[in-house]
Amino acid sequence: MWSIISSIFPYAIAFTIPLLITALGGLFSERSGVVNIGLEGLMVVGSFTGALVIAMLEKSLPGYAIWIGLLAAMVAGGLFALLHAFACINLNANQIISGTAINMIAGSLTVYLARNITGSGNIHIVNGLSRKDIPLLVDIPIIGKLFFAQTYASTWFVLLIVLASWFLLYRMVFGLRLRACGEHPHAADAAGINVSVVRYIAVIISGAYAALGGAVIIVTYSGEFNGSVAGLGFLALASLIFGQWKPLGILGSTLFFGFASTVANVSQVIPGLASIPGIILKTFPYIATLIALVFFSKSSQAPKALGEPYDKGKR
Amino acid sequence: MFKKRIALFLVLFFVLGTLAGCGGDKAPSEQKNDLKVGMVTDAGTIDDKSFNQGTWEGVVKAAEDFNLDTRYLKPSGTTEADYLREIGNLYDAGYKFVVCPGFKFETAIYEAQNRYEDGKYVIIDGSPVDPDGNAVVKENTVAVYFAEEQSGFLAGLATALQLKEGELGYIGGMEIPPVQKYNWGFQQGVQYANENYGTNLTMKAENVIYQGSFDNVAAGQQLAAQMFDKDVRAIFVAAGSVGIGSINEAKARMGNGEEAWIIGVDVDQYAEGIYEGDKSAVLTSAMKYIDTATYDLIKAELEGNFPGGETLVFDAANNGVGIPRENPNLDDEVEAIVADVYTKLQSGELVVSNERGDLLR
Repeated sequence: MWSIISSIFPYAIAFTIPLLITALGGLFSERSGVVNIGLEGLMVVGSFTGALVIAMLEKSLPGYAIWIGLLAAMVAGGLFALLHAFACINLNANQIISGTAINMIAGSLTVYLARNITGSGNIHIVNGLSRKDIPLLVDIPIIGKLFFAQTYASTWFVLLIVLASWFLLYRMVFGLRLRACGEHPHAADAAGINVSVVRYIAVIISGAYAALGGAVIIVTYSGEFNGSVAGLGFLALASLIFGQWKPLGILGSTLFFGFASTVANVSQVIPGLASIPGIILKTFPYIATLIALVFFSKSSQAPKALGEPYDKGKR
Repeated sequence: MFKKRIALFLVLFFVLGTLAGCGGDKAPSEQKNDLKVGMVTDAGTIDDKSFNQGTWEGVVKAAEDFNLDTRYLKPSGTTEADYLREIGNLYDAGYKFVVCPGFKFETAIYEAQNRYEDGKYVIIDGSPVDPDGNAVVKENTVAVYFAEEQSGFLAGLATALQLKEGELGYIGGMEIPPVQKYNWGFQQGVQYANENYGTNLTMKAENVIYQGSFDNVAAGQQLAAQMFDKDVRAIFVAAGSVGIGSINEAKARMGNGEEAWIIGVDVDQYAEGIYEGDKSAVLTSAMKYIDTATYDLIKAELEGNFPGGETLVFDAANNGVGIPRENPNLDDEVEAIVADVYTKLQSGELVVSNERGDLLR
């Protein structure tokens, strides 16, 4: 059993990281009061931009191309999220519909652009990030093998962002204001906070993070943009709810989803797991989520003003 | 007033735009052929560097040679209704010669050949099947099969001769006949090499699997990683985009100096596996020449001898399957032996079974 877990863990973490950063992006947006179901589309934008930039630069700037690509993806995701911010904040549009539109535009637009720029709807990169053991730390008994073996640099980069985001949200003035806008925007406004500006920033951050998640997929396990991220954006949204809109909560819930999905994917080649029907392993995380939501629904920690456009005149 | 002007301007703009568009289309197509060729893609994209792309390349080549109108449509799902809708859309737009690559089109093509009697249909890897499961190829349809088992056999033989000893693995997509035949052929090829050329390669039951889809890239990477971790030296991946993940994993390992080979499928996937300079993690590929088959059928239609109602099989005898002409990762003597065995397949001296028998899965 132990050997099974330790052989799966590095790959489960690789699968979890894009989910984690995307769910964290969703957290920023939703804690400020804007529902963002466009995460899937924003991830697609990120994976497209990342793959395109890396494919163009990897010959001339080997080594740097990947990081420039990740950065470019974040910028592109932030810009794309502006559409959502504009529709939800300035136009008071229905946030679900705007998010759905983002998902639909992203999937088609990126493939269209890819075909026009590169001649193919799939963009292939030659080199992604390589996996490395962290020296010394990997020798720690038990956890060394789980957390420090075969890791990608992007994993640590994302974990750093998670830590910084927690600090920003709970230890800095901006974080307090952001959360206030999601709980009671009128009170926040009365206290002199510009709700629109805060929400704009939050939605842009969510776009940048989700796009980073999409680009991380390209540089770690997929290596090719193909116009979709296979529903990971929606899985991130589920993790956000499952994790009750808290950074540590989503860290746990994304790890749960990541580990469960990986087990389901590889169960066939592991003799100890092969006897369990694949359908049970594949549906397990979703059934667990449903059950958890039933239990949590009474004490849901969703931001109070989530999904409501801010209307100054309404008291 | 102002609004009216804007409206008028917009109307003019669109009308002019449409006219300009028409002009642009018509200019280079003076002796355009009447035949319009359409294609409906199976699961995955048109640029999958595999099944869909191979078919489309055949269509495009025919279009260039004979000056045809072409169009492909991507269904929103993979059910019979999704496929039929796109076939109908093509028909309504005048694309009456439609190529559908994929076993999963079987029932949709059966409907289409009855519903649109003046349409012409090519189904690859399957036959039109009625609701009771009987194959019915009508006069306006051609069913095309490939001898995947021969292609897999040659790839298995080449892999065994090149690696000489060790573990091998197989990752298939869905458990459907073409994918299964690749697997069974591959195992027979490895056995043939073990028996006749003194190699010693083994395949464990746990390393012969079907992932269950053609588009789960993450699972492709994770499955390949698990197999390579268990000292599998080469994996034959016949699984569409799932294979993209597996190739990506092999590239990462080769780049780190580990040994991790992939045997590609359908088309020559050498370029997909390049990780440094022109070194590739793809040892060789089990190919079927979908593009040639598609091209030949379009050509036959233009010449007026479309083999309607027939079921065609492309195999070694008519050069419909094989491994790539150039394999930088194979030694010359390996290629020589494979070429020798290929002639035996062509003459029928050597027969590869397309049944499971006592093979794995």
